[in-house]
Amino acid sequence: MSRSLSVLLLSAAATLGSVSMAADDPGMGKDLSATIALQGLPCDKVVDAKRNGDSDYTATCKDGNRYHVFVNPQGRVVVQKL
Amino acid sequence: MRPKTPAPNRAQTPRPVPKTAASPPAPTAPRAGAVVAPGRPAAPALDLVSLEQRLRDTKAIGVFTKLSLKNQVDDLLGRFRDFYGKKSTATLAQLRQRYDLLLLKVLSVLQDGDPALAAAISASRETIWAILADPQKFATL
Repeated sequence: MSRSLSVLLLSAAATLGSVSMAADDPGMGKDLSATIALQGLPCDKVVDAKRNGDSDYTATCKDGNRYHVFVNPQGRVVVQKL
Repeated sequence: MRPKTPAPNRAQTPRPVPKTAASPPAPTAPRAGAVVAPGRPAAPALDLVSLEQRLRDTKAIGVFTKLSLKNQVDDLLGRFRDFYGKKSTATLAQLRQRYDLLLLKVLSVLQDGDPALAAAISASRETIWAILADPQKFATL
């Protein structure tokens, strides 16, 4: 019970140090779509994802919106509209 | 890359919380966002260690999504620390709204890919809140 509550709800920390995925991973688009939606930004479906580097993607949505999705040095996921 | 299914982009409207609600509702009260099907018993509340492991292991969400949610969980915990440290003007009712919204987010990203885990988290909603809303329990986290 004394475990961190952040661990309680989501404890992906062990795998979060280096988010690195292939852009052709079929789950990548879904992951990016969910990530963008969690930031409250519109994106009906990610139709293209370009990998810029480790933990760094440019996502293009079906509705034309484009986003830079990356993990900053503080370990936070940042979604910037392009 | 062509994902087979679009990611959920559901409206996330938290349940209205009465301004006077300074304590959590009864654990048996049905809550918005519950994913348990009508007519089926709720999944038993998980112990926290088990819940942690299932969240770590689930393939229903990717690592970006997991990290995004973890960021938001950490943010919420920070708000509770400020609340108990009297560094915030937020009320417990407002924190409850934020908690409910975050739970909705967690459930929305899990319910399609891992409905069993979503149901388990939903069933643990009040147990988790009871920890958050109790300064002594929260301090042990």
